[in-house]
Amino acid sequence: MEKKKIVISPVTRIEGHAKITIDLNEQGSVDNARIHVTQFRGFEKICEGRPYTEMPALTARTCGICPVSHAISSTKACDEILAVRPPKAGRNLRRIINLAQIIQSHALNFYHLSAPDFVYGFDAKKEDRNIFKMIQTNPEMAKDGIQLRAFGQKIIENLGGKRIHPTWIVPGGVSHAITQEQKDEILKQIPQAMDIAQRTLKYFVNNLHKFQKEIDSFGNFPSLFMGLVNKHGNLEHYDGFLRFIDSEGKVLENGIDPKFYKNYIGEAVEKDTYLKSPYYKPLGYPNGMYRVGPLARLNVADACGTPLADKEFEKFKNLNNGKPVLNSFYYHYARIIEIIYGIERIEELLNEPQTLDENIRSHANINRTKGVGCSEAPRGTLFHDYDVSNDGIITGVNLIIATGNNNLAMNAGVKQVAQTFVDGNNITDGALNRVEAIIRCFDPCLSCSTHALGIVSSNIEIRDHHKKIVNIIHRN
Amino acid sequence: MIIGYGNTLRGEDGFGCDVIKKLENYDLKDTKLISTFQLTPELCLDLLEVSEIIFIDACYLENEKYHYHLGCSIKEENINLSHHISPKMIIKLLEGIYSKKPQYSIFGMFTNNFVQIHQINKYNESVDRICDFISHQN
Repeated sequence: MEKKKIVISPVTRIEGHAKITIDLNEQGSVDNARIHVTQFRGFEKICEGRPYTEMPALTARTCGICPVSHAISSTKACDEILAVRPPKAGRNLRRIINLAQIIQSHALNFYHLSAPDFVYGFDAKKEDRNIFKMIQTNPEMAKDGIQLRAFGQKIIENLGGKRIHPTWIVPGGVSHAITQEQKDEILKQIPQAMDIAQRTLKYFVNNLHKFQKEIDSFGNFPSLFMGLVNKHGNLEHYDGFLRFIDSEGKVLENGIDPKFYKNYIGEAVEKDTYLKSPYYKPLGYPNGMYRVGPLARLNVADACGTPLADKEFEKFKNLNNGKPVLNSFYYHYARIIEIIYGIERIEELLNEPQTLDENIRSHANINRTKGVGCSEAPRGTLFHDYDVSNDGIITGVNLIIATGNNNLAMNAGVKQVAQTFVDGNNITDGALNRVEAIIRCFDPCLSCSTHALGIVSSNIEIRDHHKKIVNIIHRN
Repeated sequence: MIIGYGNTLRGEDGFGCDVIKKLENYDLKDTKLISTFQLTPELCLDLLEVSEIIFIDACYLENEKYHYHLGCSIKEENINLSHHISPKMIIKLLEGIYSKKPQYSIFGMFTNNFVQIHQINKYNESVDRICDFISHQN
């Protein structure tokens, strides 16, 4: 048999456009498989020449799903340029809206993008693996998804004035304080949100036994992990320090101020994708592959720091006897634990008396010509790095987007899944669905993560050993 | 409920939002207005008690020559759900999950220009025509 290449395009139920190529050898087995991000955005160049004060609003436009994350990292970079630290109320409010963003994004991934695979199985007919079928057979679950996402979105609207692209997060803090009524409005939604999150976790854990083969082969390999932790070593999404660990749990780097990220993270460019490939510099490219996002955050943290989440965190840690959990399928598990943490933490933050303080913003003129802002976005660690002139005009921008951090690991995952499930002599829809599903584990947001014009639809391409495309399978 | 949606930074894509802005000056009975960047799943929760929904959007038409036609051309085949969804999906969610069957209609302005407003006078005329039509129906 000739070598062939399979192309999956577009990759479905993800945010953005991508395609997958699978190279088959002469025996019909998978030689290699790669994900190619085919859209180009170019925000790093678009922003040059703009006043730094525009950056939070400009960069938030990168994405309709995680604009808050961009606004947070961007304003933190601007804080650096002003050389200010926002007042406690401003920091708390930023933390709350960041967690709300994470909750709504995680809910979207779990219920709307990934749940059809959990409910119907990866081999279910493709016409059944969608939200319409979910509505028919599991309306309560579909309702939970909407309700939990609404919880996060309403907090964003409540604080930021609108659900998408709020402009409330500003350099130095936030633009206005919250009232007791706003606080009460959010607090009264907490019990329902927590019930849904707990129900979801129970459903997921109870059904894990059905997916042992996927757990074993969906991006299950040694890698480094990176994430922010707070001064106690616990889970952190807004501030804190970078920590790198290896697959055995050994701490490679700790307490790194994110502004020095370039000492530890290199960015490789590959010719077949617009997504950069960051790597841990001391190990070089591509050996310095690391993972970020919910799985990595739970792996690098010593605890969550809230009661209910810590209870689940302990069970999560036991999956690999206290060592880092290496199976990327468990991104879904970690995502639900983070939802529980987010709900608890929002309640804690709202109940801190300083949160209602009216001193919410620090003011200053430009004091530095460089600023790096870093936070944890739903999909992982997000860096905004700006250079400005003395009058505050942006002269350089570097963005390392959460999804980009995972690029090397996503590719390794796609290859592993393809080699486990794809048989070139008998290509089944279930196998191709699994190749896409490993990508959904990472929940990539491709609109956010490519900075180069235009949108190309994404497909699965099958190529022979001469790299000639012998089949293109359109997935949408 | 009248929902206008689109990205006001992308020229004619902001048509729905511009209609809503204009409708705010009309005295519409028993009517709520929503202006939003995109339709999202949780929007359903705002529509549970609604008897009729009007969606207003800019509709891509490849060969549009800036005649600013108004019409309805929704052939929705995409059943994938993401962070933004189609009017059809909103209606399906309302029916399937919440057993709600509001009447609905979709007003679209055909365009192939999501960069700028090509002819501002004709664009504004289209906004006015939809507003007048809705206010007369009301």
